[in-house]
Amino acid sequence: MSDTATAKRVRFERKTIIHVIFLVFFALSVLAPLFTMLFHMTGEGMRSVFSSPLFLPALKNSVLTALTATVISELLALAAAYAVERSGVRATSLWSVIFVIPMLIPSISHAFGIISLFGNNGFITKLFHSNGSIYGFWGIVLGSVMYSFPVAFMMISGILRYEDSMQYKAARVLGIPFWRRMTAITFPFLRKTLITTFFAVFTMIVTDYGVPLAIGGKAGTLSTLMYNTAVANVNYDNGSVIGAILLVPAVIAFVADVAFPEKNQSGFVTEGVETNSKHWVKAISYAFCVLVSVFVLLPILAFCFMSFAAKYPVDMTFTFSHITDTISRGAGELLLYSLLYSFLVALFGTVIAFLCAYATARLRGKISRFVHLFAIMSMAIPGIVLGLSYLLFFNKSFLYGTIFIVVLVNTIHFFSSPYLMMYNSLSKVNESLEDVGASLGISRWKLVLSVIVPKVLYTLLEMFVYFFVNSMMTISAISFLAPPAPKSVALMINQFESQLLMESAAFVSLLILAVNVIVKGMLIIYRRIRSRRGDE
Amino acid sequence: MDDCVNEEILRIEGLRKKYREGDVLNRIDFTVKKGEFLSILGSSGCGKTTLLRILIGLLRPDEGKVLKDGQDITYSRPDRRGMGIVFQNYALFENMTVLGNVEYALKVKKETRDIARETAEKMLEAVGLTEYAGKMPRALSGGQQQRVAIARTLALHPDIILFDEPMSALDVSTRILLRGELKKIQATFGTTMIYVTHDQEEAFAMSDRIMILHEGYICQLDTPEEICKHPADEYVQTFVLDNLRAKIDSLSKFAKEMQNGSEQ
Repeated sequence: MSDTATAKRVRFERKTIIHVIFLVFFALSVLAPLFTMLFHMTGEGMRSVFSSPLFLPALKNSVLTALTATVISELLALAAAYAVERSGVRATSLWSVIFVIPMLIPSISHAFGIISLFGNNGFITKLFHSNGSIYGFWGIVLGSVMYSFPVAFMMISGILRYEDSMQYKAARVLGIPFWRRMTAITFPFLRKTLITTFFAVFTMIVTDYGVPLAIGGKAGTLSTLMYNTAVANVNYDNGSVIGAILLVPAVIAFVADVAFPEKNQSGFVTEGVETNSKHWVKAISYAFCVLVSVFVLLPILAFCFMSFAAKYPVDMTFTFSHITDTISRGAGELLLYSLLYSFLVALFGTVIAFLCAYATARLRGKISRFVHLFAIMSMAIPGIVLGLSYLLFFNKSFLYGTIFIVVLVNTIHFFSSPYLMMYNSLSKVNESLEDVGASLGISRWKLVLSVIVPKVLYTLLEMFVYFFVNSMMTISAISFLAPPAPKSVALMINQFESQLLMESAAFVSLLILAVNVIVKGMLIIYRRIRSRRGDE
Repeated sequence: MDDCVNEEILRIEGLRKKYREGDVLNRIDFTVKKGEFLSILGSSGCGKTTLLRILIGLLRPDEGKVLKDGQDITYSRPDRRGMGIVFQNYALFENMTVLGNVEYALKVKKETRDIARETAEKMLEAVGLTEYAGKMPRALSGGQQQRVAIARTLALHPDIILFDEPMSALDVSTRILLRGELKKIQATFGTTMIYVTHDQEEAFAMSDRIMILHEGYICQLDTPEEICKHPADEYVQTFVLDNLRAKIDSLSKFAKEMQNGSEQ
């Protein structure tokens, strides 16, 4: 073999081997489980699901509740994002933090929060002596809005924050009025984001079973039908059929996102849009921010009262008895397990997502695009579908029933967002660093650890926190895989609620919130310190 | 090229590189003498950066050889070629101080802490940045950052330094200043320099010889005077010399206007 051929072969092997390792990893952790579930579908199972009297009402409920909640959530998020980013209100960071607090508790807690306010013994129900029921369609819608609003708010406000001011300045010079500027500049700018957000929120709601399980009453949805079929009745054939249906909206959203990447928003931002709005706009924005904050904080406040009041809402005497009761029912032990799971998921997930992002962003090659596609593909798989897929694929392996499968399923479930965070950060790091390192005799690993990791340290911490917080809350994938391995504390909310131990359910929700607030808070403090030091 | 010893340091033989779109470099042959300042001049996409990356070992040629001091280094590791490279975007280690940037590679190469520090300080002195040793790179101007990158490369005492359009991101006055400093550094250390640029003025002002590259071929490789007197072909005449003359004309016109203005 000639020198050139040998050199080429060595070069081919190094970069490609890394990409192939990731392709194999994703093939085993995403594709193989998913196809196992899809191949598990049988004609019998399909006939059984489609002819079931529960199927059509569940499908109708799923679509209608998800559509209604998506529209409400997106409109609220648009208005809130505009109020925070554009109206000129003060304390924008505070509003932003309050609006995303619901992201730190499990979806089932939102439903539970609504029950504690509007349920038969709810605080608001008692206050206004109302007798209408919150269970059913509107309960699901309200819970889903609370659950999805922070995500929609973050997506829209993130884009609004980075809009260039030049078009607005030009429009002002030309004397174009406020509403015309909104319709001619702002809405076209937001169009793709609004569509992406719509799909993301719709998928998020339609595949969630936490809210409808707790507050749906008789109004079952496809996700609760899947939960009842696969988890409660252990019918995996029928569960696979419903899982395949739940994949449809997620796959459509994913394909649309990949096929039509954003073009307008990749431009260079010379200056952010000014926020010198009129007084009446500011006044309305303040009122709106306060209203949304009440909407967001009231259920959490209710959790506090329920946890520490003797008998909420009739006897509000302060007590620790519910807490000691909840701990004695195993919540303390499960909290420790959850902390361990979440830490391991955060550690493993961050390392894998960093390495994968490095491989795709800085070791570009012929197959790196496929690795990138695989890495973001997990966002198209609902947690409940991933859970069933893992159960079917790994049930005969040594991993099943161990802590490792829980760590793996959560890592994959939450993989794409942290991966994309790091991919974007690494893409912005000076492209010649590795070349300089090679010419100076600094090995790639040394360069990565001593130069690149410090550069992207904040993103790494953000990824760690993302994995941790989401693992603390998730009940979807894990509900299929937890036994006989210890359960997660989030799953106790549903258990306590079904046993009518409302105070315990409230306390567990509060526990999860407290842990997540502490973890998120540390990240915010670190960011403040960095920006004070001038590192940003 | 008064200081140049007429000794050959680098020999390139039959270099060829092909990408999917076609040939980027085609049968490139040339030699570089010790202590020489050679500029590789050409428009975007002519293959000059590809050639530089092959010389340093970041890219492998499809055919041909790179010989340094008679040794075949075509497939040697970049750090074992006795060469250094300076990029347009500086590529400094942003989490390290200016001094840290310069001494880091020495530390990696297991030099003692004292020697690494002493060498780094000497190099910073050579590029006139002693007082900035404790600063972070982001506190420096573009020109200063580029000088840190040069000091970092010099610290390993390379025989040849390659420059990939190092002044493209700098303003005109900084460029002119840095040109002089680069020549001074070359005189001090006697390092051979190969300088890639698309700027005719820069190439003609600094080089002992200029290689004019077009569509992967060497159109001409000669001293600036010879290229001016005897352009090898139409490309050299029109794209290199005519552009350069136009630039010089406009500059002298501007200088005259300035002179008249100040006299009035």
